[in-house]
Amino acid sequence: MSTLASPPSARFLPSVWKLIRLRLLISFNGFKHARLIRKILTCIAILGLLAFAGLILFLSWILLDFLRSPELAKYVGTDVTPFLQAVPVLIFTGLFLGILLSSFGVLLQALYLSGDMDFLLSSPVPIRAVFVTKLLQAVLPNFGLIALFGLPVLYGLGLAGHYSILYFPLVILTMVALALAAAGLSALLVMLVARVFPARRAAEILGFVGAMLAFTCSQAGNIYNSFGHSTNVSGAQVSNMFSLLMRFNTPWLPLNWAGQGLVALGEGRWLTGFLLVALTLGLSTVLFMFALGTAERLYYSGWAGMQVVTRKKKKARSIRPVSSVAASLPGAAAVELVPALRLGRLLPAPIRAIIWKDFLLLRRDLRNLSQLISPLIFGVVYSFMIFNIGNQPSAGQAGAPDWLLNSLGVLLTYGNVGMSLFVGWMLLARLSGMAFSSEGKYYWVLKAAPLRSAHLLIAKFLVAYLPTLALGLFFLVGISLFQKIPIPGFLYSLLAVAMCLAGMNGILLAFGVLGANFKWEDPRKMSAGGLGCLGQFLTMLYLPLAFGLFIGPLWLVSAFNFPQFYGYLAGAILGTLVTAACAFLPPWLVQGKVARLAES
Amino acid sequence: MSALALIETRSLVKRYGDKIAVDNVSLQVQGGEVFGFLGPNGAGKTTTIKMIVGLLQPTSGTVHVVGVDVQAQPLIAKASCGYVPDTPNLYAKLTARELLRFVGDLYNLDRRQVAQRTEELLRVLDLTSVADDTVDSYSHGMQQKASLASALMHDPKVLVLDEPTVGLDPKSARLIKDLLRQMADRGAAVFLSTHILEIAERMCDRIGIINKGQLVAVGTMTELRSLGKAGEVSLEDIFLALTGGAEEAEIAEILK
Repeated sequence: MSTLASPPSARFLPSVWKLIRLRLLISFNGFKHARLIRKILTCIAILGLLAFAGLILFLSWILLDFLRSPELAKYVGTDVTPFLQAVPVLIFTGLFLGILLSSFGVLLQALYLSGDMDFLLSSPVPIRAVFVTKLLQAVLPNFGLIALFGLPVLYGLGLAGHYSILYFPLVILTMVALALAAAGLSALLVMLVARVFPARRAAEILGFVGAMLAFTCSQAGNIYNSFGHSTNVSGAQVSNMFSLLMRFNTPWLPLNWAGQGLVALGEGRWLTGFLLVALTLGLSTVLFMFALGTAERLYYSGWAGMQVVTRKKKKARSIRPVSSVAASLPGAAAVELVPALRLGRLLPAPIRAIIWKDFLLLRRDLRNLSQLISPLIFGVVYSFMIFNIGNQPSAGQAGAPDWLLNSLGVLLTYGNVGMSLFVGWMLLARLSGMAFSSEGKYYWVLKAAPLRSAHLLIAKFLVAYLPTLALGLFFLVGISLFQKIPIPGFLYSLLAVAMCLAGMNGILLAFGVLGANFKWEDPRKMSAGGLGCLGQFLTMLYLPLAFGLFIGPLWLVSAFNFPQFYGYLAGAILGTLVTAACAFLPPWLVQGKVARLAES
Repeated sequence: MSALALIETRSLVKRYGDKIAVDNVSLQVQGGEVFGFLGPNGAGKTTTIKMIVGLLQPTSGTVHVVGVDVQAQPLIAKASCGYVPDTPNLYAKLTARELLRFVGDLYNLDRRQVAQRTEELLRVLDLTSVADDTVDSYSHGMQQKASLASALMHDPKVLVLDEPTVGLDPKSARLIKDLLRQMADRGAAVFLSTHILEIAERMCDRIGIINKGQLVAVGTMTELRSLGKAGEVSLEDIFLALTGGAEEAEIAEILK
């Protein structure tokens, strides 16, 4: 039998190019077949990024030039040159660590979860070419992102310092070498982790930890403030930071050699510069080649695919009497889950089953958990801020009029409601807005079952509403206790929170049905299309309105000195009517659509 | 064999814009019958199946399951129907036992019945040892068996299976074939699509062949043989003759 394939080519670079071309082709096809608006937005984003890089370059140049001016040093009394010399060291260290950490997730996906490794390794392409392509695939996006910020700063530093022309190409070369070395190390780490844990579980844990870290970092300022600290930076703090940076710029850390060498080259200290840069490039190459070779061997030999830690085998399930087995059925579990809700037994079995199933899946999938914990952290941070403010407005230096102070007092007292609603909004956006999309490719199970659309909507409504209400109440009770809100005010807040959340849930659920997306693999890409966003936007308008309907009458009676009872009564009637309508009407309107979901 | 048609499609049509995926398909499957649905890739098998089980709305025509119009009374029709899709997409983070209980509740089964059926099905399909592991830890074959178990949970009168034996080892494939035969012997209608002609030839009482959306032949093996030329005795010959033997010859030439 003849074969059409030519004899296997051992040429390495053409094979790498072939594989990279495949990636480029996939990306190009994605762009080519995208909708026009997406194409336009992509072009605008690319142009915007280029403009942004140019702006950073320009600003760095101007700023660093200014910092180097002798007049400034004379005026400030501190020479900032050592600090400026530490900038490349910082950037290269950041680049190395950034690529090391960020490549981990991408490589885990590319080597173990993408599913194309078997196809690539079975083709007549050198294994090394496959690995190098995978490393490049992991490095390029993060390298691009770090270079977007770092390169203009480094070039700005070179321009401002009138560095030697050799500095500029060597900056890029060093960045590439360090990035590849970091990616190589990352590949080795991936192998070690995949040896211990299943790759999919590792990816889930990584996603969870990453999301939590990113979220905590983004809220670091607020967390700092919530503990009563000020974020204003003093001169002493700046000085401390400078000295810390300069102490970090020690020649004993190999990671610092790249930055120090480049600065030395730029300033014309040729011997030191060449020595340090050559050391960096040499070490990076050795590290990259070693990591690449080892990772290849570990992968190919199957070492990294054999988990040494397996899950504990569960005890064999003993045969229980039917009555006891029946007690552990989903329907029963749903009721046991919330003992207070024994009324749940009144719900039809399919509704209970869906609630039970959704709670189990939410709890078990770490990728969901990270999205659900964010509102909790947000709530805690902002609650601390509310505690710091208290519920009594300050009259200020000029002495505000009583009616204004009373009105502000009402608003601050019900700040707890606002907080509960804010946390609820965040949680509902995920639980309710994505209630249908979260079914994904499993939706056929529900669709093939004899399940009423109304039952499905009720189940999804409750899955979103019960935890949101619980979380909202948790914050409401906590803040009310700390602020010593009187009982009538607390009960009224309770009603306001419960009803506002129900209305918001109805709106988000309806938009979730209209914009349901079942074609996703990664839960982060669950939300597709503008309808989900429109739902969130509408609830941003709905919330102040609904909150206002409950609080407005109280504010009015307070401003005009009427008995507060009338305010409670009017607010309760108005707010309950409108929010109940919002909870019921939107889902009812999309009920017909539910029956036809996932048919396109 | 019972004479009652448990599955009946009348002039079933499904269009996607200008493309006709299913074109005027009319067929009947009686209780006690295993009906094989064959066709090349993209012929419209899965689309037809999805319309039968109520996952897809027909452009025109009707589907009746146990005498009930699937469009008019979907809940009654679905309650009598079990479905195994071509890809066993099951809730990855549920265990097989939890999945079966969930399905039991969706079909409004009595709790005791659910518990009994769950243990029974897990044992019959050899899933008891992994019943408390989450589905994402299962092999393809185990997922396929879990999918079949969930379709059998409510003891349906109509069982619709899309490529049920793909990716199964011989033992599991044999198990599934035996189960389907038993279901039919107990009076259920079994409708299965397959690419494995040997399975269709051995298992099915009647066979329907669909090509480019149109049902080109329906009947028993004997009836199908009478449609072909004198030398076409195997189902493979008949299938290729009806769905494009010239293409097959061309492929053989390329592979020579």
